[in-house]
This record gives sequence, C-alpha cells and structure tokens, in this order.
Amino acid sequence: MDSSRKLGRLGISSSVIRKFGKAIAESLFAVLIGLLGGALLMLAYGYDALRAYRALFLGSFGDLNGFLETLAFATPLILTALTFGIGVRAGLFNIGAEGQMYLGAIGAVMIGGALSLPPGIHLAAATLFAMLLGALWSIPVALLKIFRGVHEVVSTIMLNWVSFWLAMYLITYHLAEPGRAERAIPAQETARYMVIGASLTTVFIVAIGFALLTYFILWRTTIGYELRLVGYNPDTARYAGISIMKATVISFFIGGLAAGLAGATQVLGRPPSWTVYATMGNLVNLGFEGIGVSLIGRNHPIGIILAAIFYGGFLHGGRFMEFEVGVASELVRAINGIIIIALAMPELLNILKRVRRRRRPT
Amino acid sequence: MYIALIYAQPIQRWEMSSPTTRGEVLVEARRVVKAFPGVWEHLILDHIDFDVRAGEVHALLGENGAGKTVLANILSGFYTLSEGEIRVRGRPVKIKSPLDAIRYGIGMVHQEFTLVPSLTVAENIALSIRRRNIFSYPVREVATKVRELSKRYGLRVDPDMLISHMSLGEQQRVEILKVLFWEPNVLILDEPTSVLTLEEANELFKILRRMADEGKGVVFITHRIEEIMRVADRVTVLRLGKKVGTLNVAEASREQLLRMMIGEFEPFRAERKPPRIGEPVLEIRDLHVCGDDGREAVRGVSFTTHAGEIFGIAGVAGNGQRELVEAITGLRKAVRGRIIILGQDATNKSPREVAEMGVRHIPEERRRVGVAEAMCVAENMMLRDYNIAPFSKKGVLDLRLIGEHSKALIERFKILAPDIWNTEVRILSGGNIQRLILARELWRAPKLVIAFHPTYGLDLKAVSHTHDLFMQLRDKGSSILLVSEDLEEILTLSDRIGVMYDGRLVGVVESEKATTEVIGKMMTGM
Repeated sequence: MDSSRKLGRLGISSSVIRKFGKAIAESLFAVLIGLLGGALLMLAYGYDALRAYRALFLGSFGDLNGFLETLAFATPLILTALTFGIGVRAGLFNIGAEGQMYLGAIGAVMIGGALSLPPGIHLAAATLFAMLLGALWSIPVALLKIFRGVHEVVSTIMLNWVSFWLAMYLITYHLAEPGRAERAIPAQETARYMVIGASLTTVFIVAIGFALLTYFILWRTTIGYELRLVGYNPDTARYAGISIMKATVISFFIGGLAAGLAGATQVLGRPPSWTVYATMGNLVNLGFEGIGVSLIGRNHPIGIILAAIFYGGFLHGGRFMEFEVGVASELVRAINGIIIIALAMPELLNILKRVRRRRRPT
Repeated sequence: MYIALIYAQPIQRWEMSSPTTRGEVLVEARRVVKAFPGVWEHLILDHIDFDVRAGEVHALLGENGAGKTVLANILSGFYTLSEGEIRVRGRPVKIKSPLDAIRYGIGMVHQEFTLVPSLTVAENIALSIRRRNIFSYPVREVATKVRELSKRYGLRVDPDMLISHMSLGEQQRVEILKVLFWEPNVLILDEPTSVLTLEEANELFKILRRMADEGKGVVFITHRIEEIMRVADRVTVLRLGKKVGTLNVAEASREQLLRMMIGEFEPFRAERKPPRIGEPVLEIRDLHVCGDDGREAVRGVSFTTHAGEIFGIAGVAGNGQRELVEAITGLRKAVRGRIIILGQDATNKSPREVAEMGVRHIPEERRRVGVAEAMCVAENMMLRDYNIAPFSKKGVLDLRLIGEHSKALIERFKILAPDIWNTEVRILSGGNIQRLILARELWRAPKLVIAFHPTYGLDLKAVSHTHDLFMQLRDKGSSILLVSEDLEEILTLSDRIGVMYDGRLVGVVESEKATTEVIGKMMTGM
C-alpha cells in the first residue's frame, strides 16, 4: 500500500498536510517578524540582539535541564490555553481562566495542604477538587449568559477580580502556613506529583493527557460535535435540535476543569514552593497568557501543546537574556510581547473574520 | 450640481463623454479564463467570448455552476480574470475592483441584497457614496435624483421609505436604482427574478426593455428559458464553464435552448400514480403563531396531511408560510392551537423532539440554516444522525462509518464535492448544498417531510431529480408538506393544494381541479 493511502486511512489526506504546512509556515513567518521587532527594540536600547537571542534559545532549549524547566513553565499554560480554546470552538470568548485558576490553586491547598489523607488518594482528591472548584467558578458565567444575556467577556473579567480577592483573603486568613504568613500551607508529601527533573513533575503528563482528552472530546464525540456546530453556526445547531444552552454550559465547564487543573499544577506539581504566595505572584497572569498560547496554537489542543512549550521557552529563556546580556527584565517582557502578538495575529484575524461573516446580513 | 460633483470627483468618467450608439459593442470579454486552483480541478470559465451591445438585452443562460455569475463578477470587478482580456468600447482595460467597473460604466445588481433595513432608500444610496467620500451624506440630493431616475425608467420607488417596510420586489428595485445612480452604460442583473412574483417580474422586464431602448446594454442572468423568450434580444448559453453558443432569441426555439443548456434533452414526465392515501400524519388545528414583529402571522390554520400524499401550500411570500413551518418544526412557539404528528401532541415541542417523531425539514435558507458552512461535507451530512447508533455509540462517533455513509450518499444523490473530510461546505455551489441537505434529510424515507422551497435556485436537472425523489417518497408512504412560491412546482407535485393568504388557509383544492387561475386568484385574496 502506498504511503498516501495509508495516511488516508488515518484520516490524513494531502490537503490536511497542506493546511498543516500552511499553519506552520505562517507561524514561522510570525516568529521571524516578532524576533525582528524584538531585535529592533533591543538595538534601540543598545543591547546586542544576537547574543541575547542566543542566550534565550540556549537557556530554554539548549540542554536537558533547561528544556525540562521550559516544560515546567509550559504546563499551566497548556491548561489555561485549553480553557480559551474550547470556548472559541463553541463560539465563546471565555477569558475567565485567570480567576478559575486561582480557585483551582485554593482547592489544591485545601485538600493537598490542609488535609491529611492516605498517599495516592490524597493526590487524586486534591487534583480533582481543584478542577471542580475551577469548573464551579465558570458556571455562573454560563448561567448569566444563557438567562440574562450577559456577555462572557464582561462576567469573566468581573469574576476574575472576585476570585483574586477571595483567594487572597482565604490564603491570608484561613490557609496561611503557621509561622510563615506570606504563603499558604504547602502541599504535603502525599499530595505532590513526582519530580522528573529541574522543577518539572509528572503533572506535565496529566496536562498533556487533558489536552489529548479535549481533542478527543471535540472531534470524536457527539458532545464535541454539538459544541463545534454551535460555535460555527448557532442557527444550524438550533435547526438540528441541538441545545445551545447545553453546549455553552459544557464548554464553560470543561474550560473550568482545565483552569482549575492549571491552578493545581502550581501547588501540587511545582517545586520548590509547592504552594501559593499571598501575593499570588506565582499564579498571576498564567490565565491571560493562556489566551495568547491558545491563539498561537490555533485553538487546537495539539497546537496548544506546541505553542505552550514555545511560550514556556520564552518565559524561562527570557531570564538568560537578563543574566547573560543584561537586558532589562521589563524589556525582556516587551520583546516576548512583540513575538507573541506577531504569533497570535493569524488566528486572531481568523476569529475576527468569522465574527464579521456571522454579522453579515443575508 | 452638488451631487454631480461628489460622484464625478473621485471617478473619472472618460468613457461616458460620448453617448452610445445603438449596436455599438460596449463591453467585450475575449477568451476569458477563470480558475480557482486547488478548489476546482476544471476551469470555472474556459475561454469565454462574450459581448454586450448598446440597446440590447443579452441573456446569460445556464444551469447552476455553469459560470454565469462568475463571468458577471469578472465584468463588474468582483473577481479578477485568470487569462484573457476585457475591452470597454473597444479599448482594452483592466478591471480590478467594482469601483473600476463603475468607472468604465459597468454596474451589477447582485442576487443577494445589501441594504440596511433601518434606513430609507435615499439614505442607503447616500451610504454608497459615503464609502467613497466619508464626509458626504447628501440624502436630500440623492432623493431628488432617485425620483428623477424612477420616473425615467418606471421604477416605482419612494426615496423616503424605510427598507424594512419594503417587499423583496421593492428592495430589488432599490438595488437596481443604487446601480443606476452611477449612470452605467452596462447593467448586469444576476437572477433578478428569483425573488419576484410573476407580476413583479413582468414589471422588471418592462424596465429592462426601457433601459435598453435608452441605449444601455443589459445583461440578464437566468436559468429560466421562458424569461429569455420574453425579454432578451440575444442569448449566450454556458454549460460547465464552456460557451455553448450565442443566438438571436427571435431565431431560437425553447427546445433548442433547453438542449444547449442541459446537454441531453429529457422531457419532464408528469405522469403519476394515483395517491394511496394512508393514515393522517400531520394534523394542524386552529393554529396561531406570531411573527418576528409580534403580530400574528398565522391566524387560525387547520389542515391534515396523510401518509402517501403531497400536500402543497401555495402563496405569495410573507403570508405566514414561514411561521407555519417554523411552528411545526419546533423552531417557533405557537400561541394557540394544536399540532399533532402521528397521533402524538407535538405542539411547542423542541426541534429535537419533533425530529425524533420522524419529521425532517428542508429549510428555506439553505446556506444560513441548512448547513454549517465552515464544517466539512461529512460533518454536515451527519447533522441528523450523529447521535444515533450505529453512527455513534455511547457518545463516541464512528468516523469510519460516518465517512462511508457520506460517500454513499454523495454518490446516490450526485453531489459534486472534492472530498468529504477536507472540503468546507462553503465552497460548494448552491445546488450541491441543496443536494446535500436533501440527501441528509431524505435518505431514511422519513414519515413527514416539511419542504420549504426545495428547488429554489436549482437547475433543471436538479429540479426534476428532486421532484422524482419526492414522488418516490410519496409512493413509499411518506407524507410531504411542500411549501413553495413556485406555482408550477406546487401544481406538478401536489395531490392537494392549500393556499395561504394573510395568515389564513383560504382554501384547499384537489390537484385535478387546480388550475393556475384558481390558485392565482386565491393567492391574491380574490
């Protein structure tokens, strides 16, 4: 049997490869533009751009330790990106991962830090409880949208703030580590994912598993089909007898599970602290960065995994630009920003095009 | 004048400087080729020659997908050509945008309307000027000119009327005015009669004639031969992207044109077995349904359809048919009355529950409602069956089986689609999308079919294929509710015909007793 037919049986045809190739080419082009923009910025401030980029790439992908650290940075981003991605697939603009992730982290502290349970069960219970809290935090968003017509962008932004202060209050007054008030109780030994190397733990595998599961749900199950149909064309979905309400709730719920798990990864699976600081410095922005990651990964679970690793590389490698070339840390973030914007542009344009098409009168 | 300044300023109208002389070639396409590489293997237009002369109505005839609209879009600057040449009054030109086309005196009226419903006629037209000069919005001057144009061509349009208060026929007149406003030499109309009633179409033909007499060249796209015989001077026939020929209408016969258009000649056989009427399938009792504006659109309709019969509902658009269909299929709430399907109460059930009773629905708006355009062929094909074994088990889709099923349906219903998993439905032609919907809704021989304009915009072959399909279903015992504005279709297919007027069913006639005259009178409320 020739190779193209073999591919065909796997559901892969030449046009899929072409589409995939086009996406990769677009992304590489965007990286190039982003790097160029960043380089111009560095040159403007008198830094050696080539040396800085060398430090960045060698730091994040140059050796095993660096690469494992990159993966550790990527882990929560995979999950918060899935929250956004599965929302887009159902036609929603769910930017609530940030707040849901805080609650996930709180949930992980409650079970993983404050409770003592037998090994095995402890880890599983802490993880599941974190996911559940994240998902519960997304339900009001779905209900407000369905019953009161509140747009999810508005409600998620508001709930993100509620969640932020709620989490800070709980850490400070109810979950603080005795004697060390600046942080919550760390996860107990029985509630920690195994360390693989550097600060990467097996929770990375859980995150990958969740992404693959999301892929399976979206493209291989009836629920995923309904969800995507609602996202593409709500009128057709209604005509086919699909409940738009149900699809909306499910999309928010799965997104919430992912965000909750993202919070848990920082407590149960991130040495050396294994906990949340009262300032939440080790959590803040992971949810929003997920939006960029999802856009880079074309809101596709597999693309999101790749994009998160790439993004993680920048977060980790950015520090080497600071150490080795002395680029100011603010500038490092600006350069990251330029590259991320360039990368997210193609998918962002796609989404805008789709919105415009939907609004077009018929 | 102010107005003349506004639209004369950005657009140099050099070719307008001299008036046209009768018979002069205004626009000429030479060996025009259009290809969509990667999407379609064959050429969409294969070395087409075409010309329009001053003072003539030149019809473009062809089936769906023959390339009529593509050719028109090239002439009016919406598409660029792949090869070949366009000449305007003998001079080779490059038309890169609709603005270019206007500059060369070519205007096109598209099949879809592009009007803002909440604005008046004059405001809509002023808006199209504003696109070229954002500081001008000369509503009053536009209104004056609209009045002048509508008098000149007999286009009855009140410039101060809101678009949302207008019928489709009136809206089309506005679309025509919007183009005439630029005083083009060549006016292209893409299937202008498809939304019109017979009377409105007649009026349109008069207007076209008047424009031609004034020295304009009119291009008239259609797939209805009857209309060509009535209004056109010459006709060019296209088939699958190739030009079959250009004829003088006076020397052409209907049969000749038909043969040129469809290739082989298949007369439509209207012979039919007498219906074997079975049990009642759909019973409607004193149904009241509100329209979008909150007023009652269906006002006390009652009828019953039976297994093995086709019940036709005729009527001019907007007399409650849409609301009736939506109420039966669960998409709209009934205010009062009952809907009973196969003895079970189906009043105000959800669309899913209605579908599970064995009801299938061929919707009016096939692109917007009937399919999800961004999804692939197979995914659209499984819209009704994805949640039923064997296509899915325990919520997991069997993609292999779905693929095989889609392929089988594509062959059985002769749908032209390059691939089932990688072809977005968006790129399929209207006819192929409709075939996809028919395949999906009818392959299982449903107990009750609600078909809304099932053959609207289809070519002759597809129409007769659809009609055969309906007759087969009827003979197998399905009950079919056929709602259509196409009287010929209703008369050909139906066993009984109900006529809707102003939200009421004004009468039900046996098909043997139904004539165009009888139905036509009822449709107009006489």
